[in-house]
Amino acid sequence: MDHGASLPLILPATLLVLIFLVGPFGYMTYTALTDLSYSNPDQNGAFIGFDNFRHLIRNDGIFWDSFWLTIRFVAATVTIEFVLGFALAWMIWRFIERQRLLVTLLLVPMMIAPVAVGLIWRLLLQGDFGMVTYYLHKFGLLQKASAVFSTPELVMPAIIAIDVWQWTPFVTLIMLAALMSLPKAPFEAATMDGAGPWRQFTDVMLPLLRPIIALVLLLRGIDAFKEFDKVFIMTGGGPGTISELLSIYAYRVNFKSWNLGYGAAVAFMVYLVVLILCSILYKAVYWKSADTAAKV
Amino acid sequence: MPVLFSKVTKKFADGTLALDALDLEFELGEFIVLLGPSGSGKTTACRLLAGLETPTEGRIEVDGKDITNLPPRHRDIGMVFQNYALYSHKTVYENIAYPLRIRKAGAAEIDRRVKEMAQLLQIGSYLHRKPSQLSGGQAQRVAVARALVWQPKICLMDEPLSNLDALLRLHMRTELNRLHRDLQKTFVFVTHDQEEAMTLATRVAVLKDGKLMQCDKPRTIYRQPANRFVAEFMGRPAMNTIDGVVENGVFRSGNIALPVARPEGPVTLGIRPEQIQLVDRAGEDVVVLPLDVKELIEPDTLLIFQIQGKALTIRTQGDSAEYSSGTLVNIRFPKEALHFFDHKTGERLA
Amino acid sequence: MSRSWRILAIGVLVTVLVIALTPYLWMLLTSFKGRLDVLSAEPQWFFTPTLANYPEVFLDKDYLPLVVNSLLISLSSTALSLIVGAPAAYVFARSDFPGKEDLFFFFLTTRMAPPISIAVPLFLFFTLIGLTDTIFAVVIAHTSFNLSLVVWMMRGFFAEIPREIDEAAMMDGRSKLGAFLRVIVPLAAPGVAATAVLCFLLSWNEFLYAFILVAFEGRPLTVGIPGLVTPHGTLWGQVAAVAVVATLPILIFTFLVQKHLVRGLTFGAVKG
Repeated sequence: MDHGASLPLILPATLLVLIFLVGPFGYMTYTALTDLSYSNPDQNGAFIGFDNFRHLIRNDGIFWDSFWLTIRFVAATVTIEFVLGFALAWMIWRFIERQRLLVTLLLVPMMIAPVAVGLIWRLLLQGDFGMVTYYLHKFGLLQKASAVFSTPELVMPAIIAIDVWQWTPFVTLIMLAALMSLPKAPFEAATMDGAGPWRQFTDVMLPLLRPIIALVLLLRGIDAFKEFDKVFIMTGGGPGTISELLSIYAYRVNFKSWNLGYGAAVAFMVYLVVLILCSILYKAVYWKSADTAAKV
Repeated sequence: MPVLFSKVTKKFADGTLALDALDLEFELGEFIVLLGPSGSGKTTACRLLAGLETPTEGRIEVDGKDITNLPPRHRDIGMVFQNYALYSHKTVYENIAYPLRIRKAGAAEIDRRVKEMAQLLQIGSYLHRKPSQLSGGQAQRVAVARALVWQPKICLMDEPLSNLDALLRLHMRTELNRLHRDLQKTFVFVTHDQEEAMTLATRVAVLKDGKLMQCDKPRTIYRQPANRFVAEFMGRPAMNTIDGVVENGVFRSGNIALPVARPEGPVTLGIRPEQIQLVDRAGEDVVVLPLDVKELIEPDTLLIFQIQGKALTIRTQGDSAEYSSGTLVNIRFPKEALHFFDHKTGERLA
Repeated sequence: MSRSWRILAIGVLVTVLVIALTPYLWMLLTSFKGRLDVLSAEPQWFFTPTLANYPEVFLDKDYLPLVVNSLLISLSSTALSLIVGAPAAYVFARSDFPGKEDLFFFFLTTRMAPPISIAVPLFLFFTLIGLTDTIFAVVIAHTSFNLSLVVWMMRGFFAEIPREIDEAAMMDGRSKLGAFLRVIVPLAAPGVAATAVLCFLLSWNEFLYAFILVAFEGRPLTVGIPGLVTPHGTLWGQVAAVAVVATLPILIFTFLVQKHLVRGLTFGAVKG
């Protein structure tokens, strides 16, 4: 197809993205360089250069706490979800013949709205009448049946566990698809070469799955880094700032304190990290496979 | 010291009966070719010997030892796969070295053996490459090197040449012959190509519907096919077979009549297209038929006639310019070239 | 040996399935519980069901329009994304031009953008043109991420259709656009349907954009539910009833598109 014919087909999509995504992004970047605030009439959006970023990086302890909290959250959830999800996928692939219904049921936690996930778990973890709280207490896993989300040392472990509950099926689904599309021949060749099950796993299966493992880790990493909905519903970032992930911090600065200039700088930092993860994703996975994936 | 298949049956989960009580025996050191049309069970037989599949019934022995349920890695058998099955993330060197590494050979020995194999198969200059950078022929050599590097007793090859283009296939064929001569190993080679079978094999095992039809030297397979199926499967074009009846020492079918020394009754007569002769005068073993179609396959010519709606093909040298459609031709069926098969079972009649 | 492993694996999978489904099941049960059963300290698995929560929240508390809003937003955003995105995906599948892969990647980054970073400027922008608190604002926001999903997913589906089909259509006298609309799109119909369902799901489930861009009028269900949760005296039966309505259609859809889900979730990198 020549360029003349393709331009009208591709232009609307590009324009839409430019106007409603790149435009706002540019506007946000500009706002980040101003002191705009709806809560302080003196700050009406004057240009202040990199002051917001300087303050954010040098003096904002809460931002850094939130940043490291987010990193720890991402590291913990992605690791646990990957190990569990891969193990489950392997079991299904190895032992179950009719998988469709099983997989569909497994997907329930991931497909329902994150807001609903947050509400379900808020209900389950209530102090006085939470179903899960009750059984945890009954089996001695919880000292007293008090609301999990108002017990500071339990908040982050609970949030991580819920994220694992919600997203492990994602890893299972994709790794299962990957396992099912593995070619048979390399494994048979390895068998004839004398490799036992463990060597076949490390020498043949893992190398073949490597691009997909990278893809799963990065997609989950990016999503976990942006986490907002369910944590916002469950704890709102609290108690205090104990579960205040970056997105929630950015939300607070923008829409609670109405410091839009400074909030834009925070939002910019969030975007920056995601963009870096994104380009790793592209280089690692799509760089070579975008066309081959379409072909296979 | 034979390899023995004893009443081996393989039924797959989907109900396909791939091998039906197969009996097959051959000696170590042979170049055995398993030949048959698709679905004949030749690949299944190969994979059973490899240990990649387990037989439903029957037993497989090597050297008098029952290996029926032995895992592949304890069988002392190497294999070359149809699609090469190289490890795409390893270099050629590491691909070839892999079976040795599994068997915990020393670094010096690995290096020596890999380089030896590489030299033998002329792939020494690609050792650092990845499989994706190899041509089909090169990848095939690497696969052969990997299967042979640890010197297994038997080397299996499952249609190894079918993914190569025609010229390369001829070349690899010659190399495999040389390799078998030099290494003195047992080769078991699966193919549906009769020409490959004829040129490579010390003995050919012809399979059909999971059963052994005949296992013999290529020459015997060609000259004394055990039944009508083998006769029609081998040779190009296929052997002509004519169903007819013997009455008073004369074989009759449609408008042909040939004197034969056979007992009375229905019989199937077979004759290879290249053994029918064109003569210029009549005789008792000569039949006159009008030519139907002429096909030039330089340097030979195929002349095709009709007997009771069935084609009779003659392969003759030269271009037969004197004949055209409708010409009446004198065709001689030499006595010594005639084969007879049971008209029901298809078995060769003595 | 292998048999006992199999039994062990099935045991593990059944446990996992119970863990995965029980919370949702509990929500379903809660939506049929009276107030006392909800607040019982000991979990009530067997109780006298009541349907009262549903009319109470959807009619008395006027949550029905929120369902309509959710539907309107999801359908409009899906339609817009497909109309704009499918032709672009076709171009990515068929033609080569300098910078093609970079532009393609650019679409991905928009999908990956953290909503909080985009929602702030969008909020400022829509305030400026006076469109906050309208469905339109949310539709646009949702289209911004659904569009890239369409482009990435549909590229794969189109690429699976042999080029010869386009060429045959053009030899039969169709224009390029005609070939695309009359021949290619119908051939890719299963892919289009799967993509549409995924777009619908993502939009239906989305929270943050809608939460920031609409305060009252035009609120979808996801934004409406948290409003029922108060520090004290939350009517969990009603919350559960809304949550059930907000999730049940999604689960049905999931079953329908499971085959293509993997592709959608990995932006075409893995075939399901």
